[in-house]
Amino acid sequence: MRAQTRNAVAASAVLLALCAVPFLAGKFAIYLTMRIMLLGIFAVGYNLLLGQTGLLSFGHGAFYAAGAYGLGLFGAHVSTHPLLGVAAGVAAAVLVALLIGYLCVRHTEIYFAMLTLACGMMVFSLIWNLREITGGDDGLIGIMRAPVPLFGGIKIPIGTDGQFYFFVLFFFALGVWVVHRIRQSPFGLALAGIRENARRSEFAGVPVRRYRLAVFVLSGAFAGLAGSLEALLESNARPFMAHWTHSAEPVLVSLLGGMSSLAGPLVGGAIYIAMREIIQRFTENWMLWFGIVLLVIILGFRGGVVGTLSALFRKAAAKGEG
Amino acid sequence: MGEPLLTTQKLSNHFGMVCTARDLDLSFERGVLTSIIGPNGAGKSTLINLLTGHLPVQSGTIRFQGRDITRLPIHKRVRMGICRSFQIVNVFPELTVAQNVMIPVLARTGRSWRPIRSLSRETTVLRETEAMLTKVGLLPERDTPATALSHGDLRLLEVGVALAAAPMLLFLDEPTAGMNPVERVRLLENIRQLAREGRTTFVVVEHDMDVVFSLSERIIVLHRGEVLCDGTPAQVRGDAKVREVYLGDDVSDLFRINEE
Repeated sequence: MRAQTRNAVAASAVLLALCAVPFLAGKFAIYLTMRIMLLGIFAVGYNLLLGQTGLLSFGHGAFYAAGAYGLGLFGAHVSTHPLLGVAAGVAAAVLVALLIGYLCVRHTEIYFAMLTLACGMMVFSLIWNLREITGGDDGLIGIMRAPVPLFGGIKIPIGTDGQFYFFVLFFFALGVWVVHRIRQSPFGLALAGIRENARRSEFAGVPVRRYRLAVFVLSGAFAGLAGSLEALLESNARPFMAHWTHSAEPVLVSLLGGMSSLAGPLVGGAIYIAMREIIQRFTENWMLWFGIVLLVIILGFRGGVVGTLSALFRKAAAKGEG
Repeated sequence: MGEPLLTTQKLSNHFGMVCTARDLDLSFERGVLTSIIGPNGAGKSTLINLLTGHLPVQSGTIRFQGRDITRLPIHKRVRMGICRSFQIVNVFPELTVAQNVMIPVLARTGRSWRPIRSLSRETTVLRETEAMLTKVGLLPERDTPATALSHGDLRLLEVGVALAAAPMLLFLDEPTAGMNPVERVRLLENIRQLAREGRTTFVVVEHDMDVVFSLSERIIVLHRGEVLCDGTPAQVRGDAKVREVYLGDDVSDLFRINEE
């Protein structure tokens, strides 16, 4: 109960701080915070698959792109309603994830990872080559941020970054809350059981393959949500969203922050974006320096930054009591 | 007696040239505590693996309560009421003892799909989990991760996870292997008690002849994938072929019990 209260207090504090950002920080900091939240949505959903179920996918960029292109195409051909657009993006991601997941969840471990990588790259080349629909290597450009119509004709504008920030924050908070609930739920425990011992899960009466597909599609939906929000933020959708280098981002972020907690991928995402910004000021080869940092964290901080820090806190607390 | 719980017809399995099950026609009656014995490589584990779906059936059929389950996946057999425990402990290592038992309870009660509701509000599941932990004597360890348990407690948990699926027919693969005498007596007493309650029919694979002869109402002796002898403990003890196969260490066990 005490840990629960502490977590609730921490979550409220972070939410308050995030609400304050647009009033206190400059334009660039607002933009960066939005990027951190987008990566946070992507990674926290992805970690339901990796951390909770123990499946390593290298294809989630495809669902991110499906979200972005889904929103872009819906906006161009049907309606510029942002909420409907996000729903269309998520629906597109779910559809692609169902197709790819159905093929991939029959396999595990390295076969699963490689199959998702291959499927993701197929989506990438489809987007690249279907120029009439997707704009090819130019992507979809000029995606609009129309105001959000509410009941009674009230319209909330999201045109400026300061306004759009709260649109992103809403989905970020919603996404993190949903993942938090899933982790505490019977479904979450069944997923953890599959991670710990898939064969025994079957003998416990759990249809393992169906659960794997369910969580694959669920994490794909989160990727699609992040992708559709990025399309609104950057007002474009690019084929490289589906590239495997982008699919690796949530993996790196989960490793960085730690896979076994809810906060891990969120903290990892913040570190990732901040580091990229800082290192890019000094050198073009930011990946080289990022690689070195990642190496240090993987070797020195088993369980990621969050995992290691919380273990340290627990040790200190135990010492204090003893 | 009515219809048998599970029957097999010409059930066979080969690993390359080695035959581990040859045209087995077996039936398991409701409520009859059965043991399967036989020398190493007799096909005891293969038989369990075939019946529970761990191994795909190469030829023959399996019927459970009259329904053909030969090609049914594991989880469907479990939901119908067939479960097993493992010879080598095979639980969920990083989860707590309570969570280990909770997974089959959730699956059985159809709650394992619930994604938003908190586990701590699933009161029926928590109650059932506690009852099962009390039954196997692990309630004090409920919040211990499985990896931190002693070997004997792990074996109890292994059986507890299998029992939590509330099977009608439960195969226990060497449930007492590596247990100390106190733990063993407790587990066997548990099995007897549960068998008397009558909800679960037990089929036990054992090496320990004391356990086998004191526990079982029926003994099946396997040898090279075939049934060598099938009957009451008295019949098996008196069987000449069984004595022949068990020349070696176990023969003294058989005779000793004969004298008691």
